[in-house]
This record gives sequence, structure tokens and C-alpha cells, in this order.
Amino acid sequence: MTNRKLLEEARLWLIGIPVLLWTLIPIYHIFLFSISTKDSAFSGRLWPEHPTLRNFGTVFKQEHFYLHNFWNQIWNSLWIAVAVGAITLAIATGAAFAISRLKVRGGRTVMNAALFTYFIPAAFLAVPMYKAMGNYGLLNSRWSLVLAMVTIASPYAIWVLKQASDKLPWELDEAARIDGATPLQLFRLVYLPLMVPSLVAIFTYALLLAWNEYLYAFLLLSHENTIPLAVGLGHFLASDDSPWEILMATALIYGMPPAAIYYAFRRYMVGGLTAGAVKA
Amino acid sequence: MASVAFSRVEKSFGHTKVLHGISLEIADGEFMVLVGPSGCGKSTLLRMLAGLEEISGGEIAIDGRVVNDLDSKDRDIAMVFQSYALYPHMTVAENMGFSLRLRNDSKARIEDRVAHAARILNLGHFLKRYPRELSGGQRQRVAMGRAIVRDPKVFLFDEPLSNLDAKLRVAMRAEIKALHQRLKTTTVYVTHDQVEAMTMADRIAVMNDGRIEQLGRPLELYDRPANLFVAQFIGSPAMNVFDGVYRNGAVEALGARWPCNARANEGQSVKYGIRPVHFDLAFDQTAGIETEVVVVEPMGAETELVVRIGDQSLTVVTHGRSSAGPGDKLSLAPSAKHAHLFDAASGLRL
Amino acid sequence: MHTLRAGSAWQTWGAILIAPYVFVFIGFVIYPVSYGLWLARNPESYQTLFEDPVFFPTVVNTIVFLLVAVNLKFVLALFLSGFFVHERRWIRWLSVIFIIPWAVPAIPTIFSIRFMLNPEWGVVNSLIFRLTGLDGPNWLTNPMLAMAMAVVVHIWKALPFWTLILVAGRLAIPRELYEAASVDGASRWQKFKYVTWPSLKTLYLTSTLLSLIWTLGDFNSVYLLTGGQPADKTHVLATLGIRYIRLDQLDHAMATIVVALPFVLPLVYFMMKRLSGDEQKTS
Repeated sequence: MTNRKLLEEARLWLIGIPVLLWTLIPIYHIFLFSISTKDSAFSGRLWPEHPTLRNFGTVFKQEHFYLHNFWNQIWNSLWIAVAVGAITLAIATGAAFAISRLKVRGGRTVMNAALFTYFIPAAFLAVPMYKAMGNYGLLNSRWSLVLAMVTIASPYAIWVLKQASDKLPWELDEAARIDGATPLQLFRLVYLPLMVPSLVAIFTYALLLAWNEYLYAFLLLSHENTIPLAVGLGHFLASDDSPWEILMATALIYGMPPAAIYYAFRRYMVGGLTAGAVKA
Repeated sequence: MASVAFSRVEKSFGHTKVLHGISLEIADGEFMVLVGPSGCGKSTLLRMLAGLEEISGGEIAIDGRVVNDLDSKDRDIAMVFQSYALYPHMTVAENMGFSLRLRNDSKARIEDRVAHAARILNLGHFLKRYPRELSGGQRQRVAMGRAIVRDPKVFLFDEPLSNLDAKLRVAMRAEIKALHQRLKTTTVYVTHDQVEAMTMADRIAVMNDGRIEQLGRPLELYDRPANLFVAQFIGSPAMNVFDGVYRNGAVEALGARWPCNARANEGQSVKYGIRPVHFDLAFDQTAGIETEVVVVEPMGAETELVVRIGDQSLTVVTHGRSSAGPGDKLSLAPSAKHAHLFDAASGLRL
Repeated sequence: MHTLRAGSAWQTWGAILIAPYVFVFIGFVIYPVSYGLWLARNPESYQTLFEDPVFFPTVVNTIVFLLVAVNLKFVLALFLSGFFVHERRWIRWLSVIFIIPWAVPAIPTIFSIRFMLNPEWGVVNSLIFRLTGLDGPNWLTNPMLAMAMAVVVHIWKALPFWTLILVAGRLAIPRELYEAASVDGASRWQKFKYVTWPSLKTLYLTSTLLSLIWTLGDFNSVYLLTGGQPADKTHVLATLGIRYIRLDQLDHAMATIVVALPFVLPLVYFMMKRLSGDEQKTS
């Protein structure tokens, strides 16, 4: 390698290494705590004296006061996340098809309304949503969180799907109509198969959004049986001498599915999600 | 197989009227070409026949039955698009059989008809391939195959060859023509290329600005164009046209007398038209009209020359080679019986 | 040429397919928002809100948080986007890792940072002590330091997303422009100034505006790090609203949000105009 190229590489490494450290240090810290015993966790060491998997055992066997609903909570998180993913997908796909291909009357208005919801920060909607759910009698039903998250995830989903849909050539619809397709046949046999990558991206987006959500979860759900894992983790903070190493082990378990899913679908996610945003 | 009739068909987009009362009758089994420059309305007319555009006024009838309110799928037509419009996620066989599948035809029948169409178009080897694996010409044939499988009353073609390279276009022209001769289905074909029109059509409708300028057989349009527009649109290279005055049985223009068999009123302002091939050439200045050679384009079998007389450039096409070079003087003898006269004001043939 | 004939079957299905979202919107956006605004109708709530000693420091915190977090984040994103466009295998791997803070949930990661910053037993102060023998600062109990850490947390979480957006923006610039600039003799800085920045400018500004809106609503970074403590001194508007819910003062909660609206709504309106404007151009 020439000197100039060497310098260039060195420059890149000089940026890359701090970025790597900056990104991973808090993650590593979670991992560190989760394999430490109670004493070594607070010793401020960079690697525990006696690394142990016992914390995970404690979590899985629900052997602590804060953990006694662990499996229930993880099940709630999963149930809510999948429900949000599926319902958002269904609603957004139909809406995007109606707006983009069928050019339904009022489609632009609906799209604008959706965009409005997307831009308003979710935290602002939280207070009114809390009250509304109360009025609907849905507080403490998992459906309140599901519906709230669907409301929040749908706008972006519709936007992304509409953009992807607009890229499909118009002649396909015309050819299908001449071939004799009804609207439903067009949707099922031509449109959906061609939208698969975007559909996967949107499902994953909504799924992760719901799994990761904290604010709405703890506002809308407080009953023991309905709270998802995120809220359960929040309870650990209630007292000062909580077993932090067990908390971190639980947190690690909680954080792994999104990391894994994101990794598995990274190609869909990056492409599908920035497509809508670059337009801005 | 069926006849198609347009009766005073009109089309407006908002306040803009793009088709002004088009009336056209296409006989059963006829190959009708709609030709004209971009924006003349030919594609719009075709799409209205297909049911892809609303009809603002007038009626369209297929086989005697008015189809204004019929949905595309009920009109028994098939269409070949400029961009082929093949379903990318389906194989060639699935593409061709799609319309039958929508009607819930039996698998056996679908396979049968697809195989039949594939045989006609030589697509047998490609049935399991996907559109992205095919070349442009192959995709176009699949699009035609999809139309054939439908066995419709009318074939519609919307500039199908525009996306192909020149050589392929020539080959596909012949294929489409052969297909028509074999199947004898009524065909409406839209193109902006007048060569396609001339070579393929039974009859041509030349369109401009939402109106039909002339309707007739190809050679009729070539030999007797009804107006300036048709005269300059049909034929390549384009007809030479310039201003003159009719006096004493000939046209005075560009400082010379141009012979013509056509008659006009004495002293009338006319436009004189003559095709590049209808000149005889001489190199001496004794007879004919003197011009100066500007550009020589040897095409092999013919030579195209651009010559200048005064401020006017003229195109001349001569058989074989020419020894003329830029700057040479060239004497032109236009053929009187091939000269066209048009009224200078209206552009109509005299 | 994109108009499909409006046959009745097609319009009907259009209405059917869009209806579910419309119902969701009416039930969970229009109703809550209307109800919320109705709750915030009493001018007295605003008076008592302004009189609450927590309110004005919170507003100050919010403004500082917004300005510092968003601008710092975007300068970093602009810089790092230039890094991530280089085509190297290890950089591509790094970009996958880089997204992790954004993709994983906030609780584990923000708690992790919270513990790292614990003045007594957190790794940061332990390291400082081991290296210098001094006691590290009170990261989370000194209000100013705590807000600074909230900014750091926010950037840690949000930077990857915006970096990605700017990377996409950079990739959209045709390579020939850079090649032409090289031939013309441009230095690296000049290439940025005359090729990259003009193309990226609009995206940068629009993204900054959007980020302003979203950062205003960033509840997690503050709540999970400090909970607004000590003594309610590290609240921002987003967390303050929730504090009032906890205190069962719903009218104050709504008032807090309404107070932020004169800032948020014009930005939202502007963002929507931009996006529909682009729509018109491409349709």
C-alpha cells in the first residue's frame, strides 16, 4: 500500500475505533453486570472475578420478588408485539393500496392526517391517549397498548408502503384489469407478491416498536397480569437496593430479541425504512 | 374478430379538449394503424377503446355493441403495452395464462392455450423463465402471447416496438404482420413511427392535435396526401415543401420555374411539394434548376444529398452512388407528375 | 395518464381497504386529542402551572436540551455519514453494529448508562479513581451534569438513525460530480463545500427540524436516566407531563403539552408541506 493509502486507512481507523467503543460500551456493561455476582458488580472492574450464569438462572426460575411474573411479562411483551405487527401490517397495507393504486377519494387527506400523527411526538399523545383509553374502559387490557401502538406505528407504515407502491409500474394494473382482474384479485395476485420486502420491513418495524415501548406501556397497563417486560424492568427501580445484576440479566434477555431480529432483517430494514425518509 | 366503430368520440382532461369528435370505422379483421406525433391523441383514443380512460363524448362500439359503460374486462379485448407490462413475479407461462386463471378456467385448458400461443410465437423454451431473464424482444413476444391466449375480438397495440433497438424493430414488425395474417384478428395499432405505419397497415389514420388528418391505405397517403401535414409526415426523408406562386402552368419559386401537373388559380399563393426521390439530376447547367450541394450522405444503395438554392435547403435522394461533392453545382429536374400543390393558407391539397 | 377508470367496484374496495385506518384514526387520535384539548381549556390551569416552581426550570432545561442535543447530534451525524460511505468490509460491519443503540430497547441501555454513571459504584468513577486517585463528579445528582448526561444518552440512541439518513443522502449524489471536482483540482474540504453540502443541505435542514420535534418528545432519555431528579430539577416538558399524571393533576399534564404546541405545530405544518410538496413533484 502506498503511503497515501496507509494514511487514509489510519484516518479511517482513527474514527472507526472510537465509534466502535462508543457504541458498544453500554452494551458490554449490561453483559458485564449480567454475568457478575452481586459483589463484583459494584467493584467497578472491567471483567468479573468469577463470571457466572447464575443470574440468568435466577431470572428464568423467577426466584426473586421482582421476577415472580417474569414469564408472564415476557409472554405479554411477545403477544403485544406480534399483535401490533400483524394489525399494523393489515391496516397499513390496505390503506396504502387504496391510496396508491385505487386512488380512493380522500386518499390524500388520509395520508396527510397520518403524516400529522407521525410527526407529533408520541409522548405528547400519551397523556390524551391515557385518558381516552380510560374512557373506553380499556385500561389494563392488553388491547389498550396494542391499539395505541398500532395508532403510532401505522402512519409511518402507510407512508413507506405508499412510496414503495408508487414505484410499481402502472401498466401492471392496467394489464391486470384488461386480463379481467377484480380489485381483490389485483390486490392478492399482483400487488401483494410485489410488495413483500416492504411488508416484511413494516411488520418488523411495528413489532420492534411495540416490544421496545416503555412510556405507553407503563401508562396504560398496571395490572400484574398485563404488564409487559419493559414495565416489569421499570419496577426494579422502585427501591434502592434492588439486585442490579439480576436486573441487567433480565434486561439483556429483554434486549436480545430486537437485536437478533434487527440483525436477521437488516437488509430489509435499512432499505425499506430510509426509502421513505430520504424524500424529506 | 369484430368491427370497431368510433362515433364522434371526444375526450377532455379537465378543461383541455384533446380529441375533437373522432369518427372512424374499422372493418372486421382489418389492421388499422393510428399514427401521429406525440400528443396527437392516438394513445388516448386507444386507451378509451380499451376502457382505461373515460369517454367524454361520443360512442365506441365493438361488434356493433356500444361499450362506453363496459369495464375493460367485459370488452373482450387484449392489449400489448409499450413497456410490455409483464408480471415480474410470474413465469412466462403464468403471465400468459393469467387472464384464464382469473376466470377460474381448468388447469388443463390453461396449459393447452398457453402451449398453443407459445408454439405460434416460438416461446416454448421460455415457459418457465421469469421476465427479468428475457431480452426485450422475447418479453414483447410474451406480451403478445398473453394477448393471443385471450382469443379476443380486438388486439390493441400501444407503441409496442418503441423500446426495442432498430434491428429488432424491423424483425418484430414482420412477426406482428405475419401474426395478423395468420390469426386475422381485428387490430388497432398505435405508433409515432410512420415507417411502421406504412409497412404494417391495411389502412392508416394520420392524427394531429386530436383530429384525423387523413384516413386511407398507405400508398394513397403517400401518393395523394390530403394536406401539408400528411404530406410531410408520411415518407422518409420528408417531402420538400416551399412557397411559390402559380403562373402559366408552373410554380415560380426560389427564382426558378417548377413544373407541375396539378392546377391552381392564376396568381395563387401555393406551397409546392416534391419528394426527394422525384428529381432527375444533371451536372451541366443547360436544363433544370441550379442548386449547390451542401452535404452528401452515401447510404450504399442510395445517396442522400442536401442542396441549397437561395435560402432554401432541399433534400434529394438518388439511386446508386453520386460523384457530387460539397460545393458542387447540381442541376435538378423535378418530376411534374409527382409534384404536389397545396393552398398556402389552408394547407389543403389542390 | 395514471387515472384508472373509476368503476364502482374499484371505489368501493378503495373505501373498504382504507376504512380500518380511518377508524383507528378517529378513535385513537381525533377523540383523545379533542378530549385532551377540552381538558386543557381552563385558563386557571395555566396560571397554576406557571406558578409551579418546577415549571420554568423545566422549560429552560427543555430548550437547552433541544438546542444542544439536536445540533451536536447532527454535526456528528454529518461527520460520521462521510465516514460510513467509504466502501470497506469492516466499515460495513461497523455500520451494522452502529445501529444497535437505536434498534434495542431503551430500558436496558439507558439503565446501563445510568449505572455506569453512578457516583459511588459506577465503572466511570471507579476508573477515574483508579487512574487519578480523585473522586469522580456526581454525574446524576448534579442537575447540570445530569442534563449533560441526558444529552449524551439521547445522542447515543438517536445518532445512528440520522447518520443512516444522511448516508442515504450522500449516496444519492452522483459520483461523477466528485470525479469532475477532482479533475478540477478540488481538495477534500472543497469537495465537501461545493459538491456534498449543496446536495445535502435540504435533507440536513429538514431532518434537523424533524429531529427538533421528536427530541422535544424524548421521554426515555431523561426519565430512565434521572427520573427528573434530584428534586425535580432535571425535568423536561415530556417528563413533566407524566409527573403531573402521577400526581393526578391531569389538567396540568395537558397544559404542559399545550404550552409546547405553539412551537411544535408550525414545525409539523412545515414538515407536512415539504413532504406533500415532494409528492406533487413526483406524481
